[in-house]
Order: sequence, then structure tokens, then C-alpha cells
Amino acid sequence: MMPTLRIPVLASVAAALVLLCAAALAAAQEQNPLAAPKSHIQVGFPAELYSWVIPPDNPQSPAKVALGRKLFFDDSLSADGTVSCDQCHSPTKGFTDQLPTSMGIHKAFGQRNAPTVLNALFNTLQFWDGRAPTLERQTEGPILNPVEMGNKNLEDVVAKVKSIAEYQQPFQQVFDGLITLVNIEKAIAAYERTQIAFDTPFDHFMAGDQNAISAQAKHGWDLFNGQGRCMTCHGWNPTQPLFTDNRFHNIGVSAHKSDFVPLARKALALIQQGGGGMQQLDQLAIQTDMSGLGRFLVTKQPHDIGAFRTMGLRNLLVTEPYFHDGSQQTLWDVIDHYNKGGVQNPYLDGGLLPLGLSESDEDDLVAFLATLTSPEYADAAKEELDHQQTRAKTDRPQRDTAAAFGKTGLGPGFKGPFGDIGPAQNQENPALLGGD
Amino acid sequence: MISKAAFLLTVPSLLAAAAFAALAIPSRAQQQQPTHNLPTAAHGGTIVMLCDGKTGIEVKDLKPGQTMSRAEAQSVADALMAKWQHAHPNEHWQMAQASPAAEASPAASASRGAIAPSHAAPSSSQTQSAANAPAAAPSLTVQQGDTYASFQPRDYKVWKAETDKFVADGKRIFHDDKALGSTIGVSCDMCHPDAANTHPETYPKYQVQLQKVALLRDMIDWCVENPVKGKALDPNDPKLRALEAYIYAQRKGVPLDYGKH
Repeated sequence: MMPTLRIPVLASVAAALVLLCAAALAAAQEQNPLAAPKSHIQVGFPAELYSWVIPPDNPQSPAKVALGRKLFFDDSLSADGTVSCDQCHSPTKGFTDQLPTSMGIHKAFGQRNAPTVLNALFNTLQFWDGRAPTLERQTEGPILNPVEMGNKNLEDVVAKVKSIAEYQQPFQQVFDGLITLVNIEKAIAAYERTQIAFDTPFDHFMAGDQNAISAQAKHGWDLFNGQGRCMTCHGWNPTQPLFTDNRFHNIGVSAHKSDFVPLARKALALIQQGGGGMQQLDQLAIQTDMSGLGRFLVTKQPHDIGAFRTMGLRNLLVTEPYFHDGSQQTLWDVIDHYNKGGVQNPYLDGGLLPLGLSESDEDDLVAFLATLTSPEYADAAKEELDHQQTRAKTDRPQRDTAAAFGKTGLGPGFKGPFGDIGPAQNQENPALLGGD
Repeated sequence: MISKAAFLLTVPSLLAAAAFAALAIPSRAQQQQPTHNLPTAAHGGTIVMLCDGKTGIEVKDLKPGQTMSRAEAQSVADALMAKWQHAHPNEHWQMAQASPAAEASPAASASRGAIAPSHAAPSSSQTQSAANAPAAAPSLTVQQGDTYASFQPRDYKVWKAETDKFVADGKRIFHDDKALGSTIGVSCDMCHPDAANTHPETYPKYQVQLQKVALLRDMIDWCVENPVKGKALDPNDPKLRALEAYIYAQRKGVPLDYGKH
């Protein structure tokens, strides 16, 4: 009798221990100073923009932020209690996982690189393809995706949170005791909106401190605005100093492995069958080879085939690797990609052209990009920069000097008409489309 | 080159810096103006691009240093516009000649009170919707085309905020003898309260003092030399650009009427 009992008891004790360890790890992450809400007293903080992006129906409050922080680090939000938000958005890794693509429950991998939570409150749309309109709605994607947090439906998650005693009091305080999906989303979003990262050497330079960045970085900033053409999409201005145009561009990253026209036809047929709700789009984006279609899955506009969000550049030394599929390891790889004019495909953004940047120009651009590091990540960024520098000395997979100087092929965008996948699917303003 | 000296601020503390950053005055001075230069194409041809920054073609036979006949150049322009229209089937671009009213002498058009249609003569800024948009946001639900060519409410707010800051910079300088570099304490507003009597809408026009046709900026510099008694500003000086912005902004809605005396 006893032996037959002992094994399941041992197993459940072991399982409980694993869960406790996981919970302890998550709790440790939650208490990490890097996870704390950030002060607004930062050089370069865009106060006006901030006032625009806090939704009137979800104002910030310390109690709500504390509740959201607890939820953000809680493994219970996943189907098997092993994955919390911070697994892919870890404060110690610049609120990313520093992996090419993210790992969810059962060690399953998706198709997209985890974007950072830092300054995500300023994004006009969320996800690499903008399929979620708000941070609140964004949370549903990972919670339901089978290779992320893997819940069967949203009701399960709400029921689980309701069953945890320590959530009763904070929900009582913040939401009059209403533990609902909407309120869970609001709390997590409120916490995410505290992750504001400015106060970089570049911000100090722009505020008038000429010694805040090196002469090399200043030359990089000139190149950024001039020959490198970076500012065309990664724009900076005092009102919106995020280094993104909040738009979507095909720069040819997924052209390596996607045959766009048949893939787009297939996607249109599936979306027509499945209704194109956010959950369907999420699964197409995370779990299928249609991931490479990018923004097209949301807008169904041929021009958006292979187009992905322009990521902001702040703290990019702690959010590596780069691009929507995490395919590039170093900033030199990224600049090499642009220097040769991207990767040719019929939907390539016409703004991508060979740049003719020399090796020292590229070094100077990287020196500039390194000045976009907030103080709390200074050490980690320096270590990563050294690592990338070493790697870039021997390993430059994207370098194509002949193409960069316009010697080997036509400038991109001259490959003839767009592939014909049929007429545009809707009449709405594509810039506003996100989710359902 | 960046004019870095224009608006130097010393930053004594983090708090003060945050406050200064909100003013956003130094920043524009330190940002290089974007350029639109393109690399040479493969096989030694020339890439020619529209002002949208996206639509381009390679003219294979046009080698560096060569120029085209007017007819050849027109065919290149036509090919570019055809490519743009293919990508933007629902956008309207007027290719008609300028209207007779716009071509008439300034005096004649003024006497009839005619206003030249804004699209009569395509300028380098007109394909950028951004250039036209800040005045009034068009209906957001009827935009067509790709996400790139469409805008969100946020975009209009950012454009307006940036434009207003630019104008506010100009207003501050207009009223600040030190910023103008005056050696005798005179500022613009002392003769032109609220930029009155600057009539920016009448430029270009012949100025007797200069004995040539002047732009608004020429007259600003004329005044900066006397009576302000400062040094004439470089045309790209952020201060001159801001002054120009403020003076134009003060005359919003007044019809253009170049050459008027």
C-alpha cells in the first residue's frame, strides 16, 4: 500500500517544489530594481506625448501599477503555471528575452522576436505587425497563443486569478473587487506604462551638454541624419523622441525565406475562412510560415506584404538580437543589411537604397547608437557592445561592400510591378487597423 | 554641417535639464537637415527619385556628369509619376498646366483678387502629405493605399506640436535682442509688435533699399543689421528659420500675393 502511494506523493512534492522555485524566481525578478516603475524626471522625457498616450479609461495609479506588476511576474497566467510575462520580457534583459524568437510553455518556440516593454507605451500599435491596438489588448495575444502561455481561453485565466487569495485585496482596492479580463489587462498595461527609458547620453547631448557623447558618436549622428538615411524611418524630434515613425516597412528581412505572392494568397484564403480575428492573426503570425508576411496579415494591403514595425532604437544594446525574427546578432549586421540596400523583393520599401557607408562610418553609427542607452543599462550595454565588436571583427554575414557602393545590381525597388494578389480587401485607413 | 553653437544651454542638474528638455529649444539646432542624395546606380546609370523618398527609377544611359534634353528629362519625370500613380491608384495628382490666373502678372492677379490654385505648380513638398496636413486633419477613415501613406491621429498631433514649437522659438527670438545679436538692445517687436507690418505674403518683391528682388529672409537680415545692429544671419541659421516661421504664422490665412507693394 505505502509504496504505491509514496511515488505520487513524491512526484507531487517534486512538482510543488518546481512550482515554488519558479514562483521564487519570478518573485525575485519582480523585486529586481530594474522592474520598478521609472521616474519621469529623466532628460528627454516627452511630457506632452506622455499625456497623449495614457488612455482616459485607464489612468495610472500606484495601486493599479503594483497589481499589474504582480500579474506581470506571475506564472499562473500560463496554462501550466510555468511562464509569466517576464520570461520573454525580462527587466534584466531590457524587457526582452535576448533570444532570436521566444520560448513559451513546453519549450515551444514561435516565429517572432520579443519586442521590449521599455517605452512600448508610446507605440501607436502593438506587436511587430500592429495587430493589437493597445497595450491592454496586446496581453491577450501571448496569454492565448499555444506556443506562448498556452491558455485554451481567456475565461480560464480569469478563473485562475480569482482563485488566488492574494489577488483579492488588490483587486478590491483598484477595481472594486471585479476580477475580470478587462481589469487584468488594464492593470498589466498600467504597469507596462511605467517602463519609461530616456536620460541617455544622447538626451543629455540634445539638452546642450556637448561632452555627453564622443566626437565619433556625433559623426554617427550626422550620418544617421544624412548619408545613412536612418532618420527617414527612425525619426527623432523633441515631441516624439522615440526613433520610430510608428509605421511598417518591408526591408527585405523575411524575403530570405518567403515566397511572398503565393504565401499572401494562402493567407488571404485562411483569413477569409477564419474571420481574421486577433486570435487567428496571432496564431498565423507566431506559428506559421505566414509570419513573414508581417503587416499584410492585418491590413490585407499588398503594399504591406513583408512589412514590419519600425522599432524604436533606445536601449537597443540590451534588446538584441535584431529584426522581427531575431535573425541579426550585432548592430554591424543590421547596418550591413541597410548598407547594401536591404534584400531585394517586389515589395521592398522604395526608400531602401545602397548607402555607400565605409567601415569607419559603420563604426561611428554604432558609437552613436550606443549613446541611446539609459543609465540603468549602461553596464550591460557596454558588455554587449564589446561582445558585438569582437564578433563583428570576424563574423559579418550581411556585409556586401560591392552592393553597398552600388556596383553589383540595380538599386532595390526597380524589379518591376508588384506581384498581383488581387484587389485591396478593405476601404479603411490602414494606419488605424489593429486587432479586431 | 550642424550649427551647434546656436542654442547652447548649460545643464546644472537633472531637474533643470528635464525642464529645459520640455522647452525643446536646443534640439533642432543640433539636428542636421536631412539630405536626399542617392548613390550611383549599378552599371554607372543614375537613380532618380521622387520627393516621396520611395519612388525611383534608374536611368541607365545617364552617366555621371551627363545631362538630359528637356524631352528626355520629361520622359523620366513621366515614368516616375506613372510608377507613383501605379502604387497610389486612388491619389489624385494634377498634371495640368498652371492656370491663366497664376501665370498672369502679380498686379493683374491682385487686381482681380484671384488666388492661384495650390496644386497648379507642383513643388518639391507636395507629394509629402505631411506638408499639407497639419492645418486640418483630413478624414481618417477614407485614406487609401498602404500603411506608409496613411496617418494616425497621433501623427497630426506631433506635426502640429513640432510646428508650434518652431513658431514659438521664432516668437521668442523676435522679442529677444540678445538672441538676435543686437549690440544696442533693439529687437524686432519694437517696430513690428506681434510681427505687424511684416507682410510676408508679398514676397518675393522688388525692394528699393536692396535694388533687387528680395525674399522675406533677405529683409529679416536687412533689419538684423539695422536697426537691430547685429550680424546678418546665415540663411540656414536656425534662428533665421524660426523668425521666418513666426512671421509667416502670424499671417495665417492671408492669400499669397507676391510682388505686391
